[in-house]
Amino acid sequence: MPGRPVRRAEIVLSLGVLALGVVAAIVAFRLPEAGGYARIGPNFVPKLVAGALIAMGLWLLAEVATGGWRDAVDDDPVARGEHAFHWPAFAWVSAGLFAQMLLVQRAGFVVAAAALFFCVARGFGSTRPVRDGALGVVLGLAVYLFFVRFLNVSLPAGWLAPVLGVAGL
Amino acid sequence: MTETLAALATGFGVALAPLNLLWGFIGVTLGTAIGVLPGVGPALTVAMLLPLTSKLDPTGALIMFAGIYYGAMYGGSTTTILLNTPGESASIATALEGNRMAKRGRAGPALATAAIGSFVAGTIATVLLTLLAPVVVEVALKFGPTEYFALMVFAFVTVAAVLGASTVRGLSMLFLGLLFGLVGIDDQTGQMRFAFGIPELMDGIDVVVLAVGLFAVGEALYVAAYQSRTREELERLAGSLWMSREDWRRSWPAWLRATAIGFPFGTIPAGGAEIPTFLSYATEKKLSKHPEEFGNGAIEGVAGPEAANNAASTGVLVPLLTLGIPTSATAAILLAAFQGYGLQPGPLLFQTQSSLVWGLIASMYVGNVLLLILNLPLIGVWVQVLKIPRAPLYAGILLFATLGAFSLHQSVVDLVTLYVFGLLGFIMRRWGFPVAPAVIGLILGPLAESQFRRALAISQGDPSVFLSHPISATLLALTALLVVVPWIAKVMRERRTRAGRPA
Repeated sequence: MPGRPVRRAEIVLSLGVLALGVVAAIVAFRLPEAGGYARIGPNFVPKLVAGALIAMGLWLLAEVATGGWRDAVDDDPVARGEHAFHWPAFAWVSAGLFAQMLLVQRAGFVVAAAALFFCVARGFGSTRPVRDGALGVVLGLAVYLFFVRFLNVSLPAGWLAPVLGVAGL
Repeated sequence: MTETLAALATGFGVALAPLNLLWGFIGVTLGTAIGVLPGVGPALTVAMLLPLTSKLDPTGALIMFAGIYYGAMYGGSTTTILLNTPGESASIATALEGNRMAKRGRAGPALATAAIGSFVAGTIATVLLTLLAPVVVEVALKFGPTEYFALMVFAFVTVAAVLGASTVRGLSMLFLGLLFGLVGIDDQTGQMRFAFGIPELMDGIDVVVLAVGLFAVGEALYVAAYQSRTREELERLAGSLWMSREDWRRSWPAWLRATAIGFPFGTIPAGGAEIPTFLSYATEKKLSKHPEEFGNGAIEGVAGPEAANNAASTGVLVPLLTLGIPTSATAAILLAAFQGYGLQPGPLLFQTQSSLVWGLIASMYVGNVLLLILNLPLIGVWVQVLKIPRAPLYAGILLFATLGAFSLHQSVVDLVTLYVFGLLGFIMRRWGFPVAPAVIGLILGPLAESQFRRALAISQGDPSVFLSHPISATLLALTALLVVVPWIAKVMRERRTRAGRPA
């Protein structure tokens, strides 16, 4: 354990926990006292939790300063039985989720679901974009119909509204 | 005792009603399927289904959720044995021996001993649950807010600090979960907290968005980034499923011992099934007449841990149903499911919703039988499920994950929050922060706060009540011991090794 180089991620994450505690404390101290009978207002537990988060941030920093986090996850992906961080994969999965956010209200659930499916499959290394797109449409449509017809939960129809309307769905 | 049997008989009446039987069947089938699929766990599945089932009858929905909960334990063992990627952390012990057996062409007996062992342990544990629950309820009825608060603190600390690799990382996630739980309107004073003026935050952070974000989106991002380019080796299911006379002789004592280890561990708030599975593995290795086989596919090493896993998972339902205390992430989501129907698990639920609770317990006897049938003769179906390639699998998981979050309020804000929690889940997985304390903190935090404030209101603001009530004092002392003793032991050990090293 001693002698391993200081990991930047551990410093950043420790500071992150600390910062979260500080922000929580600032909010908590602005909350009104108004505890009434028991003098335990809506600000008491927030102060407690904020203080605890600050303590955890400091504890994590103390571990960084004394040889790094204890029992940390191995930094070497090969030692974990994994491969190095694959940027395109991470980006494609994220892109799929962003596409879903942008499309779902305007283009409708089916289109958004197909876009998500296509991008995520791409991210996981699929080499058959046409099949993925088609699968996405079929699955999206199936879910849409199940929701709207059987569960009475409305989902946005979007661009496909006229088509679905003509088909009587 | 006769009262319990009468209640259980009523419960069977509920559980065997055709519609509830159907829900139970859907639950265990779905549970097995998601247990088989790598990357989907019971916590995620129940979370995704919560928005869809809000309009269903609570008894049917909860029977289905319980089916998913223990069905996933059965399915998980199939994946572990054939794929060697443990679907859930509690099946790591099985992976040690089960996958070796499969590599040597003995996948059949390994799957059989896992399924039959799960059935034996699950059924015995359900009997124990039936007998124990009324006793705990009897005690719990005497609990006031002070005792409940102490009990919750005990559960928080064991789940966050005692389990897992690092105390400080576990506690960090607990307090993060508690902070999430504070967001929204304070139900005692109507004060808005941590909402930053965002209307979507005023109702609080929904457990569905948090759990689906951490489990589904976080997992997908992680697997894409670090595992999507590795090849998976699926072992073939060759030969017969039948266990030889020798296999039986070696399996059944392991099942029983594992049940005895697993159930008590599940009932105390010691968070799920990881510790008992490893304990069972170690016990079997020690007692075995064939210790040389361990590491090369010893059948006891599959039989024990799988049975312990199931017994512990059933044990977890004791504190959940009788006290309303969840001790694993899945139990926390089940608690959220109860709350969604306006029900609060605890001693009072046994009185006010007796037929629901006992129907649920009775459904577990039925469910275990269904699962044995689903997992032995129909094992071939699940092997096919395992063959789904990762790309469409994760694309499908995310489709259903986003659907669950979106259908809550038909709001894009929930999708954005989902992605933020996904990134958080990725970071947690990559740097070893446990998920369960965050989920438990979010669900149990608001309950703990209201018990805390109620206790202090009764004592007119005097905080010494927590130490003057004997039960609460004992629980808090136990909690302190659980944190301090391992810490002292660790410091002593570090000091000793340092002293032993030449200067």
